[in-house]
Amino acid sequence: MRRIPWWRLGAMLALLAGLGLGLVYSWIISPARVTDSEPLALRTDFKDHYRSAIAAAYAATGNLPRAEARLSLLADADPIEALNAQAQRMLASGQSFEQADQVAALASALGEGITVEFTSTPVTETTNSIVSTSTLLPDPSEIPPEITETAQPVETQATISASTPRPTQTAVPTLGAPFALTGQETVCDRNLPDGLLQVIVFDSRRRQLAGAKIIITWDGGEEEFFTGLKPELGNGYADFIMDPNTAYTVQLGAGSDIASGLTTSTCQTSDGETFFGGTKLTFQQP
Amino acid sequence: MPPVTCPDIHMKSYRWIFISLALLAGIGLGLAYGWVMDPVDFFDLTPDTLRADYKSDYVLMVAEAYHVERDPDLAARQLAIFGTQTPSTIASSGLAYARANGFSDSDIALMQELVTAMQAWSRIQ
Repeated sequence: MRRIPWWRLGAMLALLAGLGLGLVYSWIISPARVTDSEPLALRTDFKDHYRSAIAAAYAATGNLPRAEARLSLLADADPIEALNAQAQRMLASGQSFEQADQVAALASALGEGITVEFTSTPVTETTNSIVSTSTLLPDPSEIPPEITETAQPVETQATISASTPRPTQTAVPTLGAPFALTGQETVCDRNLPDGLLQVIVFDSRRRQLAGAKIIITWDGGEEEFFTGLKPELGNGYADFIMDPNTAYTVQLGAGSDIASGLTTSTCQTSDGETFFGGTKLTFQQP
Repeated sequence: MPPVTCPDIHMKSYRWIFISLALLAGIGLGLAYGWVMDPVDFFDLTPDTLRADYKSDYVLMVAEAYHVERDPDLAARQLAIFGTQTPSTIASSGLAYARANGFSDSDIALMQELVTAMQAWSRIQ
């Protein structure tokens, strides 16, 4: 067998060693500096900033196609869910209610596919067909010149996932204003958990209100929870599982109406099977 | 023991040069692969790394919101995510990009309004 000369073997080893050194340097010690990244590569908190900016711009212009195009840059698996989750995080961390509301409003608009007009004076200057090299800006002609506000449907079933659209930038509802108990009904639905207490909170414009604190008390206990933690059921929705042998009292902040003596009710299916029903409460700011 | 001749010395030098060149070639190939062909995939980046058109579009978003809200503090905070530059500089950069790349006149007007507001805001601070 012919021997490989030592220097050829050494050259091959040197080549491999150099390759390794080069990779270590370029991947670990001094990786290529990023200068042209895309929004989807941003850190999570900066993505939240980006979504907030998109929502604020949407609240100002009402241009839903442009907002959708911008949101697509973040490559969220479910943009609506991402927006709703961010709105809840913003409320939970004590950020501005108005900004959280803008984010939730964009989620609602996306969910319903509505394009709404803003209440401010738009920039009405028409544009020529200037083509931007940027691909993220929809044609400004997509902005409708004048759109009237559509009627706002009112959710009547807590289990419906559609939420009330919030088409305009509106004044922030006063969280401290007293709420009136406008509805209390027994719910016998075998598809719902036994003893489910559902609470739906509306603001004065009949829009579901996220972040409203609900205080529930019973003999020997008290718990606080907030609306909007299940955005798929509505931004103003919250629920609680009642124990069959306990009476509960529900209140929303000081001065609000109190729903007391809430208990589970016995319901029966068409087959004669019995189960514990729940209660649905509706609160609204006057 | 035979005497060492000049051709032997030259041959050994040539071999060592060959090995050194192989090492350098390996390093070059490694750098090219790691920097160009398959660079590190970055995530969790900061906004200052965004491509210029995305930065400019972000400035436009802030300008659109500012046009309605008229809150220069909020606009400055939103622009501050880009890091060390002042809000007016960031807004100006966005405007310059927009002008150079054919943004619509209405968008440029909004960004111009934001730049003016940020310059005034900077003087107050």
